Amino acid sequence: MRKLKAAISYECLTSFKHIWIFYGITFSIVGIIFIIIGISTGDSEVRGTISLEVNSMVYVGILGVLGFKEDFKMLIQNGFTRKYIFIATLSLFAFISSILSLVDTIISRVLHEAMLYDSVFGGLYGFDQPFIMNWLILFLFYMSVCCIMYLGVLTVNRLGKRKSLIIGLGLLMVLALLLPAIFRYVLDDRARSMTVELLLKGLGIMPDGKVALVNPCVLFIALTGVFGFVSYLVIQRTELKA
Amino acid sequence: MAGIEIHGVTKRFGDVKALDDVTVTFEPEKIYGFLGRNGAGKSTLINIIANRLFADGGSILIDGTPAAENMGVHDKIFCMSEADLYDDSMRIRDIFKWTGRFYDNFDIDKALEISKKFELDTGKRFKTLSKGYQSIFKLTVALSLNVPYLIFDEPVLGLDANHREMFYDIMLREYAQSPRTIIIATHLIEEVSGMIEDVVLIDSGKILFCEEVEKLMEESYCVAGLSSQVDDYCRGKEVVGTDQLGALKQAYIIGEREKIAGNDSLQFSQVNLQKLFIKLTEKGGESI
Repeated sequence: MRKLKAAISYECLTSFKHIWIFYGITFSIVGIIFIIIGISTGDSEVRGTISLEVNSMVYVGILGVLGFKEDFKMLIQNGFTRKYIFIATLSLFAFISSILSLVDTIISRVLHEAMLYDSVFGGLYGFDQPFIMNWLILFLFYMSVCCIMYLGVLTVNRLGKRKSLIIGLGLLMVLALLLPAIFRYVLDDRARSMTVELLLKGLGIMPDGKVALVNPCVLFIALTGVFGFVSYLVIQRTELKA
Repeated sequence: MAGIEIHGVTKRFGDVKALDDVTVTFEPEKIYGFLGRNGAGKSTLINIIANRLFADGGSILIDGTPAAENMGVHDKIFCMSEADLYDDSMRIRDIFKWTGRFYDNFDIDKALEISKKFELDTGKRFKTLSKGYQSIFKLTVALSLNVPYLIFDEPVLGLDANHREMFYDIMLREYAQSPRTIIIATHLIEEVSGMIEDVVLIDSGKILFCEEVEKLMEESYCVAGLSSQVDDYCRGKEVVGTDQLGALKQAYIIGEREKIAGNDSLQFSQVNLQKLFIKLTEKGGESI
């Protein structure tokens, strides 16, 4: 357990400083945009729509990739097994996701009160939802993004660039062309509305207009679980590529 | 302690058979030279021992414990690799600090002392070091770890002669203070020939032999003379290679030295490890 603790500490402590660099850059850009808009429109009460959650999602996505690329090498050099590396990496994802979701929740609520900013969460579920649910859903969402990206990079490493590119393009075709085509031309109106309803229900937006925050929690837990488990299976057969 | 026991290990990379039924044992508290040409399979075997690659078949035991995916061997073995696997944006002293947290028997004071000897700036980031100093850093980590099995994969890459000498000195001093198994995979055979006890020779993924250096040197020799006389002498002997210059021939033989009465024109001499290595591997080990 002591070794595992050391690996988790390494993952978390060496990534911690990057969070503040990320927020520093994000808020600098947001600040500059506000100043430019303010100067050009002369309106000091500009309501922002720059989504913190989207920035954080990109950040955790990058973290998911780097979680494999850099830390796997360092930890395997130091004799850690893949099981330990996987647990340490998942702990890093949980650590970073919890901090980002906490900061995003606090900032979005403060800025919303100050009439400067509307978060994606607030836009979807309303601004009167409990703080803890706002944090929890963001946390689970960031965790699932990390796990999806982690599985992606593990797959690329395992299959090689060429095969991964072919699979990636195939997946892109399915998502961007095949599924929309099926949705539009194959499904009838009833099936289409049922699909949309199912997706919205999964996100917690019920047909009667009410919000069920348990649904996105279950959805993101399921995504984290499935992608995390498959990542574990892949990393168990992952070899070092110099 | 049972050493590192490798049984029938095979490894393929696509169509290439990198290791072919490799069986060898690295015994405790010995210094091994692990020799082989480029692409012979040295690094592949080392990476399998260090759990960085998986064998397609066979097994590796470290003191009787399976080496693959086993934290039970974590504090028994350390492998200094030729590849740069460290976080290159990290400062050297921070990597020392983390290594100290990862390993129970990492001596950070020793690491700083060795760094000082090599004039390695521990305040620098790994990526800003020259290739030679990156090797020095990796050597420093390995030499400051008191593990029973220490593997060096091309340890002196990019090091100048002085630094190489320093490394060998420190390594031998550490070995004298605390005997352990040291495996050195290198191309600089002559440099290590004086300090290794046993030599393991690998070629085209197969172990050609594992032998005590002293015994190997005793059992191998070189005979030179006129081509026809050398050919006559070599008949029925285990000739591992020959060199020809005009009518003169030199043959490298493994076996007991036998002088034939009345044939004083043949000259016998000791063969050095590097020459023997070249001769043994130039035909892909056919002569064995």
